[in-house]
Amino acid sequence: MQAMAGAAAAAARAVQLVKVFGTGDAAVEALRGVSVEFAARAFTAIMGPSGSGKSTLLHCMAGLDAPTSGQVFIGEVDITRLSERELTKLRRDRVGFLFQAYNLIPTLTAAENITLPIDIAGRGVDRAWFDEVVGTIGLTDRLSHRPAELSGGQQQRVAGARALVSRPEIVFADEPTGNLDSKASAELLAFLQDAVKRHGQTIVMVTHDATAASFADRIVFLTDGLVVDEMSDPSAERVLDRLKSLEI
Amino acid sequence: MLRATIKSLLARKLRLLLTALAVVLGVGFMAGTLVLTDTATRSFDGLFGDVFSGTDVVVQGTSAFSGGPAGPGGGGAEEREPIPQSAFDDVGAVQGVAAIDGDVSGFAQVIDPETGDVVSTGGAPTIGNSWNEVANPFELRSGSAPVGSDQIAVDAGTASLADLAVGDTVDVVTPVGGRSFQISGIVGIAGQDSLLGATLVLFDLPTAQEIFDREGQYDHLYVVGEEGVNPQVLRAAIAAALPTGYEAITGAAAADEQTEAIGEALGFLRTALLVFAFISVFVGAFIIFNTFNIIVTQRTREIGLLRALGASRRQVLTSIVIEAVLVGLVASIVGLGIGFLLAGALRALFGAIGLDLPATGQVIAARTVIACLAVGTVVTVVASLAPARRASRVTPVQALRESAAPTASLRRRTVVGGILTAAGTAVLLLGLFADVPNELAFVGIGAQFVFIGVAILSPLVAAPLATGIGKLFTRTPGRLGTENAKRNPRRTASTSSALMVGLGLVVMVTVLAASLKASASTALDENLRSDFILTSTNFSPMSPRLAEALAADPALGAVSGFRQGQLRVDGGVDFVSGVDPVSIVEVANVPLRAGTLESLGDDATVLVFSGTAELKGFQVGDTVRLTFARTGPQAFTVGGIYTDNSLLGTYTISLAAYETNFAEQLDVIVFADKAPGTDTATARAAIGDVLEGFPSIEVRNQIEFKEEQARAIDQVLGFVIVLLLLSIVIALFGIVNTLGLSIYERVRELGLLRAVGMSRRQVKRMVRVEAVIIAVIGALLGLLVGLLLGWALQQAMGSIGVKEIAIPVGRLAVYVVVAALAGVLASIWPARRAAKLNVLEAISYE
Repeated sequence: MQAMAGAAAAAARAVQLVKVFGTGDAAVEALRGVSVEFAARAFTAIMGPSGSGKSTLLHCMAGLDAPTSGQVFIGEVDITRLSERELTKLRRDRVGFLFQAYNLIPTLTAAENITLPIDIAGRGVDRAWFDEVVGTIGLTDRLSHRPAELSGGQQQRVAGARALVSRPEIVFADEPTGNLDSKASAELLAFLQDAVKRHGQTIVMVTHDATAASFADRIVFLTDGLVVDEMSDPSAERVLDRLKSLEI
Repeated sequence: MLRATIKSLLARKLRLLLTALAVVLGVGFMAGTLVLTDTATRSFDGLFGDVFSGTDVVVQGTSAFSGGPAGPGGGGAEEREPIPQSAFDDVGAVQGVAAIDGDVSGFAQVIDPETGDVVSTGGAPTIGNSWNEVANPFELRSGSAPVGSDQIAVDAGTASLADLAVGDTVDVVTPVGGRSFQISGIVGIAGQDSLLGATLVLFDLPTAQEIFDREGQYDHLYVVGEEGVNPQVLRAAIAAALPTGYEAITGAAAADEQTEAIGEALGFLRTALLVFAFISVFVGAFIIFNTFNIIVTQRTREIGLLRALGASRRQVLTSIVIEAVLVGLVASIVGLGIGFLLAGALRALFGAIGLDLPATGQVIAARTVIACLAVGTVVTVVASLAPARRASRVTPVQALRESAAPTASLRRRTVVGGILTAAGTAVLLLGLFADVPNELAFVGIGAQFVFIGVAILSPLVAAPLATGIGKLFTRTPGRLGTENAKRNPRRTASTSSALMVGLGLVVMVTVLAASLKASASTALDENLRSDFILTSTNFSPMSPRLAEALAADPALGAVSGFRQGQLRVDGGVDFVSGVDPVSIVEVANVPLRAGTLESLGDDATVLVFSGTAELKGFQVGDTVRLTFARTGPQAFTVGGIYTDNSLLGTYTISLAAYETNFAEQLDVIVFADKAPGTDTATARAAIGDVLEGFPSIEVRNQIEFKEEQARAIDQVLGFVIVLLLLSIVIALFGIVNTLGLSIYERVRELGLLRAVGMSRRQVKRMVRVEAVIIAVIGALLGLLVGLLLGWALQQAMGSIGVKEIAIPVGRLAVYVVVAALAGVLASIWPARRAAKLNVLEAISYE
């Protein structure tokens, strides 16, 4: 799946998303009417303090959770109207994932993990693209290793490669550097950034780490279930300043 | 610590339930068996007590040993000397006798008017008796007692089986041949419809005496004493009035005699069923072991935490053992409950093959409760010991790490497994081939160790086998399923092992049955020469008049009838055949290793089967003492030793000798040749004409006879497999359990797969493939062990006639396929659970 040509179009967008957990007195409003667009061929970060609803927003965007009201578009498709089966296919064919941990199947080799979504779909792998991605993450000689034989950083890079090899329209990453040391974090983020710049991949990442966020092209700030600010071309200091002012 | 254990137990109630279920079923089978046989025994006690309740003293001929009311292939007659009318009169004159009656009995078969077959149930005897006036155990349910030579009464069980009512006419086959009678009445016996499924025909006394060749004689006398007379005193007085060769016993003693004989038979039944129950419990133990292993692995962090907080190794071990004790107790109690239901099911199963066990009120002996609780709990605890030890070895630091469990040395496992398998094989072979006391225990224990040994070795082959089987599944979900099966070879192998036991035993009996059929077929081919073989339904006995009638027919040449009865040699009971030495050579080949067939001509000679002769050290010319029930010990000379026992059994004497030593003269099988120059069709038609007078008898040629034998063996095989089915169900259930627990373990991984786009259907397929692989591994291992056990058994039984081994490859292949399908069945619930996971919850699972 090619990333959409024409950078100005939105790869995905949320329209008035509301998500409420629980009922009655115990009801928690995680999202209280979030509308945001994620540009194609761009690296967008979503930041906010814990409880801000950033993970919930990601889950709704990715089709992993259904909003209480509002719409989510991947491309031109309103995914809130899709059936469970169609959502599964969406996740398989058009969306890529990168979680904080437990990204890999322990019984499969790195190579098999990378091609997992493609294998599930029963499609063939684009060998040239595969080799290029693997070369970029620098793990060509560890392809036959199992996750237990790789370091945390290497595992996350394998997961990142998996997210990219199937060329999804959009990749959703949930705190991908949360468990990594600073060096491994930097390597992973550089890899993601490279994918965006050189291959036009669209990436949306949730993070609470200012340094990680500074790798993005644009940051969306969330507090108490609402978008409160945006920043383009961020730097780590500016992000930290902004975060401080958001703390109430 | 105890509180923590119990709380942890209750928190995972589902897991507790599933673990317990394996033991519940095995214990239930055990409880069911014990309840059933205890109930039957008590009912019989009551039954015979009732039957003899009105009788103070019974007079009968003395018997050297009791063959029981159900003599082999016989009617109701025991082997006792008939009582002359003079004795009847003498006893009647004794002081204190209020009333006296005598009865006569023999075999009588009712012919179902619709089917033309003998009305019989399984192997139950077909009894003919005279109607008693005094101390009558028969209760008239409808109609009246039989009077005259053309009236009979039948038991209610037979009446309902053949749809008979008072006034109907029915054919009855007796020692004098077939005759028509009118049903004058229908009776019950001490409240039951029948006596253990035996059919009963009642004639009036003169008719019975005529039919059973007892004119002026009786088989038993029943005496009722005057009011106030002590039965013991009366018995002594009567005994004094009897000639030698007869005895008087009290009614109570007579009841005890019968009960004892039944008790023996029930004892065999109980032992046989308990063997199957233990097999089920054994398989259940595999499941418990497996489950506790998985639980310990899953709780490694929790245990590590407890250790970090100061719990000692022993406390951890004890807590697991306590968990096992609680699970075992609860399972045993539930099993007891199920046992009562199962007792009913077993009774129905036996009823279906004609063995009617009375069930008046379930007897739940204290012994049953204690035994079931003990077995269930002990087995659960023993199975949990190894996992408990593993739990006690968890170090505190493992609470903090997400490390994989350290795999114990593979080499030690190979050694232990190898030793157990070798030891088990040795014990098994000893039990089969050496002369040891209690061979069944040796064989049983040997087999158990072999199974356990192979189970310990099985992880070594689990991964390669899984890879091999997995080649059938090429798409991604299938490949992932294969990887999952290979991921933990010990767990996979352990789960498969339960199925290995069940299926291994099924394979073993299948091989044995096939070998039996092949051997029997070959033996018959080699030794049977006659054109026709005549038998009655279920090998029930036939009147000797049949052989006489056939011999007289011009279309037939040699006719030879066989009789069979019980005798005692060296304290052990065995069977003896009576044959006509002249006609036998025409119809059968008797391969003699030593001596001659003609030696039977002098009627004090016996021929012995070589296997027995070797065992007992008999040689031609030796004198042996054969003890007959009727005539006591008799000296016979060994005239020959023959090498095949498929037709003649263990001992053979001449027909004349048989007639001298047995009261009941009935043929079990008759061989006939067509006359030289006559064609087969004519001869067969002639036989058909003769059979008009013998309604229950069928004629077959050699091929048909062999088919009939094969069919009978298959029937028994089917019955045994049904009894083994429970252990297979338990094993399959172990697969469900393991898969379910594994899915619980792999929640996050499943969430990941669903997140990256695996559909629910693909997830189910993945689980299904894993289940099929586990099942097929179990089937293949079972095939291996079963073949070895079957071969060993066949070799052991070679000396008693199972000379060939036959391996029904087609049927065995079907078993493997069925195992695979069963794996699919077992995967249904776990697959559904895996597919139903909420993706979001799964990936956020902490």
